[in-house]
Amino acid sequence: MNTVVAQLQRQFQDYIVSLYQQGFLDNQFSELRKLQDEGTPDFVAEVVSLFFDDCAKLINNMSTSLERPENVDFKQVDSGVHQLKGSSSSVGARRVKNVCISFKECCDVQNREGCLRCLQQVDYEYKMLKTKLQDLFNLEQQILQAGGTIPQVDINETDTLLNFANVQG
Amino acid sequence: MKGDSFSLSIESLPDSPTDSRKKMSKVFDKMTEWVTPWRSKSEMPRETRILRGDVEQEQFQYASNHCLTSYYSVFVVRLAIMVMLAILIGLLTILTWHFTRVYTKQSLQTLAYGLRYELLQRPVLRMWSVLNTTSELTTAQVKLSEYVIKKYDKPTTQEELVEMYQAMKDVTWALFASAKALNAITINYRNGFVQAFHRDPASSSTFYIFSDLKNYSISGTGLEDVKTSLGHGWNNQTIHGNMSAIWYQQQLDPITGVKIGKPLQIPPDDLINIAGISQVPDGEASWHVTVSKYMDSPLLSAALPVFDASNKSIVAVVGVTTALYSVGQLMRDLVEVHGGHIYLTSLEGYLLATSTNGPLLTYTSMGPQLMKAVDSEEWAIRTGARWLEKTYGNRSDVIHAENAKLGNQQYYVDSFLLNLKRLPIRGVVIIPRKFIMGKVDERAFKTLVILISASVCIFFIGCVCILILTNGVSKEMKLRAELIRQLDARRRAEASSNYKSQFLANMSHELRTPMAAVIGLLDILISDDCLSNEQYATVTQIRKCSTALLRLLNNILDLSKVESGKLVLEEAEFDLGRELEGLVDMFSVQCINHNVETVLDLSDDMPTLVRGDSARLVQIFANLISNSIKFTTTGHIILRGWCENVNSLHDEMSLTVDRRKPWAPIKTKLVHHRNHLQKSCKNENKMVLWFEVDDTGCGIDPSKWDSVFESFEQADPSTTRTHGGTGLGLCIVRNLVNKMGGDIKVVKKNGLGTIMRLYLILSIPDNADQISQPDFSKYGLVVLLSMSGSAARMIQSKWLRKHGIATVEASDWNELTHIVRDLFETGSRENSFDSQHNIADSLRAELSNIQEIKNPVFVIVVDIGVLDLTTDIWKEQLNYLDRFSGKAKFAWLLKHDTSNTVKTELRRKGHVMMVNKPLYKAKMIQILEAVIKNRKRSLCNAISNRGSGSDESHDCLEIDPTQFDTFSSDDSSETSGDKQGDKSVKPSPVLKNYLIDITKSNDDSTSASMTQKRQQEEEDWKDRSNRLYSGVALDGNNQKSLEGLRILLAEDTPVLQKVATQMLEKIGATVTVVADGQQAVDLLNTQEHKLSEEETTKNDIVNPQNGLRNSSPYDLILMDCQMPKMDGYEATKAIRRAEIGTELHVPIVALTAHAMSSDEAKCLEVGMDAYLTKPIDQKLMVSTILSLTKSSTLLASFSA
Repeated sequence: MNTVVAQLQRQFQDYIVSLYQQGFLDNQFSELRKLQDEGTPDFVAEVVSLFFDDCAKLINNMSTSLERPENVDFKQVDSGVHQLKGSSSSVGARRVKNVCISFKECCDVQNREGCLRCLQQVDYEYKMLKTKLQDLFNLEQQILQAGGTIPQVDINETDTLLNFANVQG
Repeated sequence: MKGDSFSLSIESLPDSPTDSRKKMSKVFDKMTEWVTPWRSKSEMPRETRILRGDVEQEQFQYASNHCLTSYYSVFVVRLAIMVMLAILIGLLTILTWHFTRVYTKQSLQTLAYGLRYELLQRPVLRMWSVLNTTSELTTAQVKLSEYVIKKYDKPTTQEELVEMYQAMKDVTWALFASAKALNAITINYRNGFVQAFHRDPASSSTFYIFSDLKNYSISGTGLEDVKTSLGHGWNNQTIHGNMSAIWYQQQLDPITGVKIGKPLQIPPDDLINIAGISQVPDGEASWHVTVSKYMDSPLLSAALPVFDASNKSIVAVVGVTTALYSVGQLMRDLVEVHGGHIYLTSLEGYLLATSTNGPLLTYTSMGPQLMKAVDSEEWAIRTGARWLEKTYGNRSDVIHAENAKLGNQQYYVDSFLLNLKRLPIRGVVIIPRKFIMGKVDERAFKTLVILISASVCIFFIGCVCILILTNGVSKEMKLRAELIRQLDARRRAEASSNYKSQFLANMSHELRTPMAAVIGLLDILISDDCLSNEQYATVTQIRKCSTALLRLLNNILDLSKVESGKLVLEEAEFDLGRELEGLVDMFSVQCINHNVETVLDLSDDMPTLVRGDSARLVQIFANLISNSIKFTTTGHIILRGWCENVNSLHDEMSLTVDRRKPWAPIKTKLVHHRNHLQKSCKNENKMVLWFEVDDTGCGIDPSKWDSVFESFEQADPSTTRTHGGTGLGLCIVRNLVNKMGGDIKVVKKNGLGTIMRLYLILSIPDNADQISQPDFSKYGLVVLLSMSGSAARMIQSKWLRKHGIATVEASDWNELTHIVRDLFETGSRENSFDSQHNIADSLRAELSNIQEIKNPVFVIVVDIGVLDLTTDIWKEQLNYLDRFSGKAKFAWLLKHDTSNTVKTELRRKGHVMMVNKPLYKAKMIQILEAVIKNRKRSLCNAISNRGSGSDESHDCLEIDPTQFDTFSSDDSSETSGDKQGDKSVKPSPVLKNYLIDITKSNDDSTSASMTQKRQQEEEDWKDRSNRLYSGVALDGNNQKSLEGLRILLAEDTPVLQKVATQMLEKIGATVTVVADGQQAVDLLNTQEHKLSEEETTKNDIVNPQNGLRNSSPYDLILMDCQMPKMDGYEATKAIRRAEIGTELHVPIVALTAHAMSSDEAKCLEVGMDAYLTKPIDQKLMVSTILSLTKSSTLLASFSA
């Protein structure tokens, strides 16, 4: 029993570290995790699912806006991107946020091609993150079911690792 | 000619512009070279500074190009001025010349005319007079003849006739003799008899000519004839026909008229013209111009008839002949004076007289004939006459011709007509023009030449003047331009220096802000109780260093002040000892790395509290010590301090005389100074504080002792390479010391190194207590100092001994073990003591003294450096020492880099008295006090708790690092410390705890713990307020920092809503969420309304102000900037609008994903109070919220 929990915990840790390392997540996610406590046990999951819903909605909006090749309402797209950027940075979805930044740049110069490309990228990234986080939450659930506690991952360590990875990259 | 030279001078200048330009630039180059000699100089060390030279060259070229254009303009101006000058001078010259010439000419011409007229007038007048004379004489002769003839009227006889002739002859002679100018007088009688007197000018002899009487009868035939043939009877025919008549010539004495010689027979009519009856045909006078054989000049002859008494018949004809010779003579005379030619002609053109010597007669076969003027041999007369004839014909007018060209010369020709009845005469004057106008013309020409040359000279001089003038002007212009450039450069330099200082100020300001944050954070960290002691120490050290850094930044700002002398020292009380201790603490870290010992040696009489500028004081010593550290590689740096009271100087003199020996000259100076001081500030309690910074560095050459305090001066120039630094430090030190009324000097030192000695005059506050030195001697303390640094050890032991504490020194481990063994194992091995250990006698004496102390308290101060830390031997050494822990108290001197393992090991062994190096007086006192206190308590415990079993009351003493944090006197920790020690405001050495008990013994009373708890709470509170002020918060121990705050969150993104809500609620805030700005505004309005209504009903009467303040429904609004319906900016504006008129101001914090500063500006513009970027940083958010709501919370807490 205990060994299973330990294994799961290690797996969880590795997984979350890998998520950090691959740049899916950043510190903000850790902050988010810190906010979760006994009173709000599913806080992270809730926020993340909210975020994904938001993402889906925004991406949908933006894609309809960008659908027509002529008279694209860039203002609307821009506000969507802005919102997406805000929420992604709030949950610590690092990659999504980064794509949003370039998306916003494209939007500022009214580059429809770039916008479409970025939109696809955002779509891809957020779905990617979604699956990853899904896995993470599943792992969490497994740990909880196994009777263990979810281990706190030392952010600083991951941060340094992340930095290291960045430097290497 | 003038014009020519003028145009030439103009043309020659712009003729070849390129050429002149080249020349000009050359000249310009030369000039600039002249003006700027540095240029040529700068080229000399070309190799060394090619780069700089190039730059200069470039700059110069730019400048010269710039100048060249202005130079051209100057040149043009110059040219224009020259041209104008030339025109002016030319005009002046021409005018002058013209006027002078014209007026001269006119006046001359009038003069000349007058002259000519006069010239002509005179011969004409002479002619006239000649004619008059002739006519008068003739008339006289006629009258006389008539008289004579009347007398002998009708001579009948020959006798009478002869008598009458004789009478006639006498009368005629008388007349002839009286008129010398006459040539001849003839009387031709009717009967043909002729009587004549004649003068021959050639021989100057006078002749009487008469005809033979025999041939004449006195017949009256002639009388008869008169009437009938008045015109025929007297004709020449008859005379000439009377060839039979014999003529005689008889020479006479010209004066007396006496006959000389015999009369000679001459042919008739041969000599002279005898005027006959034919010449007076109408009985009137007639004039003739005749020629005579013997005279080469024409003669003028007048003839008049002589009538008889009845006046009816002509009896005789009288002829008078006058030579015109005299007229010619006059003319010659005149011409000789005036020049030119004069001639007189008859109306027909026959020459009568000329001013020349040329002949007037032509000799033809018919005898001499009169010559015409046009045929004259004289060239001038001929040509003149011809010209006249040609030009004017035979008009007999008065002619004045001025420009008659005769030959090659110009003449004045004037002719006058003398209109006599019988003999009209024309006079002509020919004067060469040059005789009259020649001089004038010549003069005019000369004048012109002179004028031209003068004007040319003036022109050139003017040009030169202009050149010089404009040169000066242009030079001045150039210099001015240079000056302007220089000024510009200076302004730029000043501006850049301004920028620099501004930058420096800004930067230090910018740096200070984060430093303040760092310090604040460190303070929070220090007050956090979950830190381990090591962390604590480290953080404390960081805190110190941060403070030092901050101080440094402040000093950077002050540096310029010091330099410019604008520094104003502040006057505040401060603890001198603490400041210096902190300084030494700080530098000891640096020194330990350098293997240099830092020692603070302050005498006991030093005042604790002094008034002055602590920052500057510290700056002085910081500079001095850092300077010493720079040059000291091994050995020690000692900061000594002692004092003397100005008022009680003489007492101290004896005490410190040995110390001040090498400072004799300064002493006298000091005495002066002191006297002055005594006079000036008698009331104030002034102190002279002496300090010495003594190092064992490389030392300073005595010749440089004075100059090291100069700016940028270092004893050895190579030091900059090896040690760095600017050489400004000591300069600042001297400035500051002087400012504090002191002086600094390098003094002689025995051995290696330098001693900088300085004194400062500081006042001590009146209320300062006299230092109460704790008396340690009565406790029987025995201190064993085991320190590797000899200087510190010696100073410490000296001090300890002075205070009656037995002290033993040990420099290394071996010595320590020996002494320890001797001290504690004497009882068991007293015998072996002497034999086994060969300790120095003095030490032995000391030890033996210690043996005699009753009930001694041993304190062993061990430098951690004494242990062998390189290997693991130190553990064994510790174990060895541990054996004596029951008998002695160990105090450990740690280094900053002492490893944790050692510390933990020490702590594990129960050694809790640990202080950081360096060891100085205050720390020593602290150790001793702790030991004494501990001993007292253990004694008490032993008494009170005897039997309770809790006798293992070893005190766990630890260092309280916050108390070490004395380096800064301005930070909050000290103020809090002061507040904490509210029992006595004045810090005294007793209060200055370096070691405190934190873990109280079990037997502490509950009340004490209660108070302590309360104190802790109080501290906590203070901590929090500190945090509020510093604007930085930690979530560490105050989870609910936002307890009770009502926050309105306006955010459309659900994710953010959730996250932010969670964040805020987690730290105790009450959050209301709205989705957009409109909702926020609505909510605020309705709630406010409701609330204010409630408030007014409740609190209006009691406290309206309070009601107003509390009427805000939310303490803070977090506002997302980009929201649907109404964005954050609009919402903020709306809220602020609604707030107008009330005293409300709900803090609004912007939340935005934009991270540009312009966004921040925009946020603040619309009335928001702060700005947070997404993702939300919790700490930052909390601190921001707290800083914005602190006033209300503080108010709330105060009111509570």
